[in-house]
Amino acid sequence: MLSRVADSLYWMSRYLERADGILRMLKINYASSQGDLQEFSWKPVLRLFTYMKEEEANTIAYDSRAVLQYMVTDKENPNSLVNIVTHARENARAVQDHITKEVWQCLNDYYHAVRDERLAHRLHKEDPISTLDVLIKQGLLYYGTADITMARGEGYAFINIGKYLERALQSADILDVKFSDAHFDFSKIHTTYWKYLLLSFSGYELYLKTYKSGFDAKNVVGQIVLNKDFPRSVIYSINRLSRYFERLENQGNKPGYETVEFLIGKLKSEISYTTVDMIEDAGLHNYLIKVKKELSEVANALNKNYFAYS
Amino acid sequence: MQTSELLNNYDVDAGTWDEMYKDSAVREQYRAVVDFMQQLSVEELNKKEELARGLFMTQGITFTVYSSGEGIEKIFPFDIIPRIITASEWSYIEEGIKQRLKALNLFLKDVYNEQFIIKDGVIPAEMIYSCPHYLREMYKFPVPYDIYVHIAGIDLIRNSDGSFYILEDNLRTPSGVSYMLENREITKRLFPDLLPKNNVRTVNEYPNILHKNLVSLSPRQIANPTIVVLTPGIYNSAYFEHTTLARMMGVELVEGRDLVVDNHRVYMKTTAGRQLVDVIYRRVDDDFLDPLIFNPNSMLGVAGIMSAYRKGNVAVVNALGNGVADDKAIYAYVPAMIKYYLNEDPLLRNVPTYQLSKPEEKELVFSNMNKMVIKKTNESGGYGMLMGHSASDEEIYNYKQEILKNPRQFIAQPIISLSSSPCYMNGKLVPRRVDLRPYALCGPNGVEIVPGGLTRVALKKGSLVVNSSQGGGSKDTWVLSV
Amino acid sequence: MFTKLSLVPTFKIHHVTRYQYEFPVRESANQILLFPIRDEYQQVAKQELSISGEPMVDIYKDFYGNEVGSFMNAEPHLELVIDTKTEVITTVRVLPSDDVPAEIQWEELKRVHTQFPFIDFLKQEQFNALDEVSEIVQSLESRLHTPLLAAKQLNEYVFRNFTYNKGITSVETTLDEIWKLKAGVCQDFAHLLLVMLKTIDIPARYVSGYICPHKNGMRGEGATHAWVEAYIPFYGWLGFDPTNNCIVDGVHVRLAVGRSFNDCSPVKGTYKGASSHTLDVGVSVAYEDGETSAEAPTLLVPQPVKVNNLSSNSYRRYMEMMQQQQ
Repeated sequence: MLSRVADSLYWMSRYLERADGILRMLKINYASSQGDLQEFSWKPVLRLFTYMKEEEANTIAYDSRAVLQYMVTDKENPNSLVNIVTHARENARAVQDHITKEVWQCLNDYYHAVRDERLAHRLHKEDPISTLDVLIKQGLLYYGTADITMARGEGYAFINIGKYLERALQSADILDVKFSDAHFDFSKIHTTYWKYLLLSFSGYELYLKTYKSGFDAKNVVGQIVLNKDFPRSVIYSINRLSRYFERLENQGNKPGYETVEFLIGKLKSEISYTTVDMIEDAGLHNYLIKVKKELSEVANALNKNYFAYS
Repeated sequence: MQTSELLNNYDVDAGTWDEMYKDSAVREQYRAVVDFMQQLSVEELNKKEELARGLFMTQGITFTVYSSGEGIEKIFPFDIIPRIITASEWSYIEEGIKQRLKALNLFLKDVYNEQFIIKDGVIPAEMIYSCPHYLREMYKFPVPYDIYVHIAGIDLIRNSDGSFYILEDNLRTPSGVSYMLENREITKRLFPDLLPKNNVRTVNEYPNILHKNLVSLSPRQIANPTIVVLTPGIYNSAYFEHTTLARMMGVELVEGRDLVVDNHRVYMKTTAGRQLVDVIYRRVDDDFLDPLIFNPNSMLGVAGIMSAYRKGNVAVVNALGNGVADDKAIYAYVPAMIKYYLNEDPLLRNVPTYQLSKPEEKELVFSNMNKMVIKKTNESGGYGMLMGHSASDEEIYNYKQEILKNPRQFIAQPIISLSSSPCYMNGKLVPRRVDLRPYALCGPNGVEIVPGGLTRVALKKGSLVVNSSQGGGSKDTWVLSV
Repeated sequence: MFTKLSLVPTFKIHHVTRYQYEFPVRESANQILLFPIRDEYQQVAKQELSISGEPMVDIYKDFYGNEVGSFMNAEPHLELVIDTKTEVITTVRVLPSDDVPAEIQWEELKRVHTQFPFIDFLKQEQFNALDEVSEIVQSLESRLHTPLLAAKQLNEYVFRNFTYNKGITSVETTLDEIWKLKAGVCQDFAHLLLVMLKTIDIPARYVSGYICPHKNGMRGEGATHAWVEAYIPFYGWLGFDPTNNCIVDGVHVRLAVGRSFNDCSPVKGTYKGASSHTLDVGVSVAYEDGETSAEAPTLLVPQPVKVNNLSSNSYRRYMEMMQQQQ
């Protein structure tokens, strides 16, 4: 497979995963903003998910509708949904002959949906949750379509490598959003936030079944970082990343394979032998920073060994 | 009731050949289609139009227009009523194009080698050497099987008496064939069963023939040579077509940065290392193909590719330097070429063409500007054109000044009216002007033309300009087998 | 013709071109025109070519009959060195007798102006000062003389009116700039003479090569040199060196001819990588004429390079992608 094609598939997938992560993050925070007693601040979200300067962020930090518009439809925001989906589609466009027609059409529909002029109005005037849900569904449609129609070759492996690498990063970021604001003190966050977080990631029921003792920040961290059965967890994402990467073993490029395999393997075993207590001891933020750093190393190694073409 | 609704506004312009009507009666070849349309209500027809638009959008069959830094996706407007060509009309067109291409290919070989046609005074040397597309780099350059034009799009129009004329030859990187293929797919969806009932010949063979020809050019005599389509990238307006062709042939779509030349061989960069490339169907213009030899600022090409090509390690399709044969000033000499190389009379006629570099012809043109269309010799796509009958005095004056600066860059042709063909607009059929671009493929075994082509239509009433860049649309083109 | 055989010199030319890159570059593709023309005035006795990385060099003839070498180096590298050692034997020319009446000669030039290959060597380059240059040529009344004398006159005009000054111009300098500066190097002198000859319909071509004086003192040593050949009716192409105000005869070695510098560039190439480069060139000539022989060291002299960082210009990349469609 052309290096550029692998690169584009990988990025298409990363962008789509990022779109999903952002939408769900917005949903949690919006829902939470409606239930909070004190005034809800979007500052941590803006800090982690945009390049906004502090002063700028201050001007809209307490205006949910303005943040939603900025994060979803604002073309000036490089990390807005509309830009991310456009990037995903541009990447797909460059490899149209390597994805199925169904996947391409699906992305086209997603693209046209995020560019719909009525979207900004809906976010402003109507129920934002319903509007975000419509967009989340576009993403789900893509996941299903890719799963059902794409051949299980090298391209599929790169799509999944991108997807799970991005997902691990997103999950780490979403945890970081709230904790960075609460100064990484597990006890300072209101339990309704956890509920919304788990709900919007479809992890609420799993949580209830796993941890019978009610809401405890530590358990939430446990589920999002270390629960192997939770498809949004960091460990699940890294296990999947490793699994799809291993499919490249016999595609030639032995030295490249070994380099990347080493980095993924190292990360995988580190996280496998981590407990929530260890995370607490290290400090969640520090721990997440370390995981994110190692994920970036994997990304760089992929870049160098598989995607170098220009 | 519906019958008259659909057709009662169909007023053919005086002195125009209409594809559907003859003496206010529907021509034989259009009868079945007209009957079918008349069974449908306006709502149903509108729905079909809507369906067509939706299909184009969903499939991403769009071109991107950039304005104020933002890309706007547009579909090439599609008219749901097919343009129909009879079997006998087609066989005439087919023979005519085959003959023309044979001569053009021989001309290219000659002009880049012995130059007999110049030595015999059929075409003045100046005409050749002043053409910006005459590539001195192609002189005595070995080209596989002596084929320069592998893919050609020949534009035809019909005069008021219905006879076909060649408007221009496109021998460099002609585009639009994906519309020929996609328009047919849309028709299948819009009008179930209509195609088989009408004995319409299939166009599906196009990618197979092209692929077969590309395989035959491979320097390595192996069963499965590596063939690539080289695209300038996703911002190119024909990017959709590049993708479609690569997909339909099952070959790799590459950009310049995917390729590297080493030791006079072209490789593509893959996740498993370099892979040797045998045949390149390039959709990148000559000037951008090799920054070492041509435009040094090009980022779309591959440095060193000419060397690999010269050594016969890779085949490049179309050959470089073809622009000398589709230059609008050289166009005037094509009938002479046919006579010179083939000793035959041209089957398809040329539109009379005046060279503005010839003083006496320039005078003639200048005193009849309102009856002329003036074109730049090295531009295509309807750019830089002046339609004398609709231009203002000032436009004409300014254009004359342009011509005087560099007359070799201009030719003039009398305005030919173009035939009209029915288009569906707001519940009615209305006549709009059309041209026709069939696609010819030349391989080691000769010229093959898929029965069909791209019919471009000027959607504005009375307009004679069909180019997509100038507000034109397209139609499915049916060639009937009987 | 070869009466004074003892004066026929053998030149031993050593030419080194060295590019050095700050960081490794890759995918370089290069073209060299370093193979002296072989004809009745010039024989190549021997040539050794060595290139760093030892690439396979493919040699072919271009449109103007020059031998061109092409080679690549795809792997990362920090340096490209092209080294040629060439032995050339030149023959003293018989100069035109110039005894045909001037008007017949001009008539002959008129006759050939639409013929191959002269068309290419008469096509005038457009630049702002062209009218001014034409006026000056007209004022010299060169057309009253024979084409040979006219060419001599223009050759001298360039020599007298332009200052030889290294380092103020580069291959990128335009004609208008040269005309304004009234100064430059051999390449600029040649460029101007080409234009002037064409204004009076004398076919003129650019020549690149080496100058090999028996003793030092001529301009253009230590690097490749450039001059002009004019077409003299009933004789053929004759070299004029406006940098040295002389007719080319025996001490010039021709590498390539063409319409302009672009057709004759001795070395050109492209590479990929975010790196700037430096270029050093050295040419030394030793000669043997049976009486004396000299060996000289080849000094590498830094050359101006143009900065061209393409990869960052996405606008241009986009404009290119948009290329006109057929």
